[in-house]
Amino acid sequence: MLESRATIGPYWDEPLPDDEHLARQVEHGREEHLMLDARPPAELNQLTLARMRQTGPRFWIALAGLGALTLAFFIAWAIQIVSGLGITGLNRSVMWGPYIANLIYFIGIGHAGTFISAALRLMRMDFRRPIARAAETITLFGLACAALFPIIHVGRIWKLFYMLPIPNQRDLWPNFRSALFWDMMAITTYLIGSTLFMYVALIPDLAMARDHMTGWRRKLYSALSLGWRGTEGEWHRLEVVSNLLSFVIIPVMFSVHTGVSWNLSMAIQPGWHSAIFGPFFVVGALYSGVAAVILVMIIVRKTMRFGYFMREEHFNAMGIFLLILTLTWIYFYFAEWITNWYGNLPLEKAVQAMLTGPLAPLFYLMLFCNIVVPLGTLWSRRVRTSLPAMLVIGILIQVGMYIERVLIVSGSLSRNELPFNWVNYTPHWPEVTVTLGTLAFLGLLYMVYTRFVPIIPVWEVYEGQAMQGSRRVGRAVMSTRTEVH
Amino acid sequence: MADFLLLGLFDNVETTADVVDEVRALGVPDEQMTVMSHVPYSSKIFARKPVRLWFLPFVLGGAALGALVAFFLTYGTSYLYPIEVGGQGLNPVPPTAIIYFEMISLFSMLGAFAGFLLQNRFPILTRRMYDERISDGYIGLEVCAPLAVAEQVVTVFEAHHARVIKREDAAAFKPQGIRHLLFWGAVGTGGLVAVLVPLLLSYDIVRVPWINKMDDTVVVRAQEGPRLAAPVGAVPVQGPVFIAGEPATAPLPASEVSLQRGQMLYGTNCAMCHGLQGDRAGAEVGKYFPEIPQSLGARAAILSDQDLFRVIRLGRNRMPGLAENLSPGETWDIVNYVRSLGE
Repeated sequence: MLESRATIGPYWDEPLPDDEHLARQVEHGREEHLMLDARPPAELNQLTLARMRQTGPRFWIALAGLGALTLAFFIAWAIQIVSGLGITGLNRSVMWGPYIANLIYFIGIGHAGTFISAALRLMRMDFRRPIARAAETITLFGLACAALFPIIHVGRIWKLFYMLPIPNQRDLWPNFRSALFWDMMAITTYLIGSTLFMYVALIPDLAMARDHMTGWRRKLYSALSLGWRGTEGEWHRLEVVSNLLSFVIIPVMFSVHTGVSWNLSMAIQPGWHSAIFGPFFVVGALYSGVAAVILVMIIVRKTMRFGYFMREEHFNAMGIFLLILTLTWIYFYFAEWITNWYGNLPLEKAVQAMLTGPLAPLFYLMLFCNIVVPLGTLWSRRVRTSLPAMLVIGILIQVGMYIERVLIVSGSLSRNELPFNWVNYTPHWPEVTVTLGTLAFLGLLYMVYTRFVPIIPVWEVYEGQAMQGSRRVGRAVMSTRTEVH
Repeated sequence: MADFLLLGLFDNVETTADVVDEVRALGVPDEQMTVMSHVPYSSKIFARKPVRLWFLPFVLGGAALGALVAFFLTYGTSYLYPIEVGGQGLNPVPPTAIIYFEMISLFSMLGAFAGFLLQNRFPILTRRMYDERISDGYIGLEVCAPLAVAEQVVTVFEAHHARVIKREDAAAFKPQGIRHLLFWGAVGTGGLVAVLVPLLLSYDIVRVPWINKMDDTVVVRAQEGPRLAAPVGAVPVQGPVFIAGEPATAPLPASEVSLQRGQMLYGTNCAMCHGLQGDRAGAEVGKYFPEIPQSLGARAAILSDQDLFRVIRLGRNRMPGLAENLSPGETWDIVNYVRSLGE
């Protein structure tokens, strides 16, 4: 006779076994694993929605701080538009400075979000469930911030319409032979795809919010949830469309950062012209992106008190992911470096001499942040599950990866084919203000977004909890997992 | 006979599956029942027919549309705006492949999303039977049945301890029909208008009589005459340069002023390879070009002034010519300065 758990009650009402030894094991499992620790959805819905509406004094202080920095960013940009790019440190050889490094950096941190969500979804990894949306949100706003930088960088923004495919007196048309255009297409595709992917998974949670909210929020969520009722057909199609989007968006994600790298490597600039740049940039993007997701997880968990959803197991899993990416990144960087080093071509040597010469402090700081610290610490579970440690490591990796982009862009450009064009580059105040301000802008957008949208994909958590249970094997209780398709 | 819509909320999956079985036994067909839940339970769990899916045509249609867009962007626009190279249009294949990949990906994703919306009839613009407690974990079963059967269904619901039973006249729930199509049609038309209006204006199909001074000016298109004469006082960029007060190629005497100018110009143009004293000391570039002489003065001593002038103007071996950077007078200043370096 088949015994169904559901005859006893709903999945969150699973009683403890009578045996005390086994009961203790089950309780321990519930403490450890979110998927085993099912609670009534009514309670979890209230928890999620309450955090969404909550805006304490610290929230407003943080909002004001980020808002002030964002304002500084827009003022600096305005001054730069009025005065021209001459007030920046950019010069004739280093015409691509931190603005382009920022473009690469922000696309990079945007990378991991959809990748974590889509790839782990297809591989049916349960640890993605509570963090998927927090990650996807970074993608959305990371890409939005990145999209600002070409505009900031071109300087004369009133001539931006030259880039649009509209007829003009010069009979010009966007040039498809240009790597810049490939990149623009890839970013547009990725931004639209990520938005669709996020929105589709958001619909059931918006419907949940609609069911529990009143006033203008109810109207907003009613419109956005499109009349979702949770019928079998709706769920099944949601599942299929998410999988379809996942399959398409993973190659697109690879194409995005490959496109960014081709902006550099299609030029015969020493230090750039390298076939490994595509995969190397993808790995670098994932590396900084996963570190950014961990940072956001820590901040969201701490400020919104989501300790129930984001547990040690999630930080542990993300830490392992980060360790794998550390090793991959080191391998790619080494492969790139040693090929240049062994080739011993004068110009590539000149670029390497630049990195280990005038730029040595930045170069060695980058190696410290990207290699020494993660490789030395992440192998330990205690480090991976310690929030303060992961916060520090995450920030260091952001610093390291940012420096890496600046070194590649400005460092390589300062040594080029024409030795009398060799210059050194120092950022001036507009670059610094704009860079810090954009980071604040990203934080600001993220903060506001968490107050409008459930940042935890609760339905995915419920799905995992409903499909997972425990089963006795000998004297031990093991968790079991069911696929319902 | 008027139909009734019934909604019962149940605690768990098992009960709901039992109720579905019993309602079906009452003669209510599967299509008249809908299960609603807060987690993706599949139809199999309730022993119901699997949901029919129509994603393939949407995805393939999207991909085909994407391929068409990519074709237009790459071959179409280079046909409309040709760049002739060697008598042929320029249509390299590898970049084309990238545009195809991106457009096919983008439009197949949009197609999948459109398929999701249309199959679900989203957005739902009419009233539907629903209960807000479903998102709190209850499983809802909606049954549409005529009055007599509806009574029996309610009995079944009660026998299985339904938490809530809602019963309403089915006439109050108008079918969605083509409303969602009209909605998306309106959205699509709005979008199309928003794209078309600027295009109509920019292609001059709709002409707006702007006051434009450019209309009054002479239009000279690229590669067309008449070519305007250079303004008075302009300096020709090609051919010999004759400027009043500046020597053309005649050597300058090595005066104090000339040496001073020469030193400054040497520092700007030569020192990064040859070093400030001509001995490569402190020259960053010099390290990578072993053929740069250790002593510039000694090397220059075996050349005549005219040879030295030519080397600076035209370059030699890997040294670039500096004719574009220096006027003849400036070049003579440097010659004088190099002579003054000593052997």
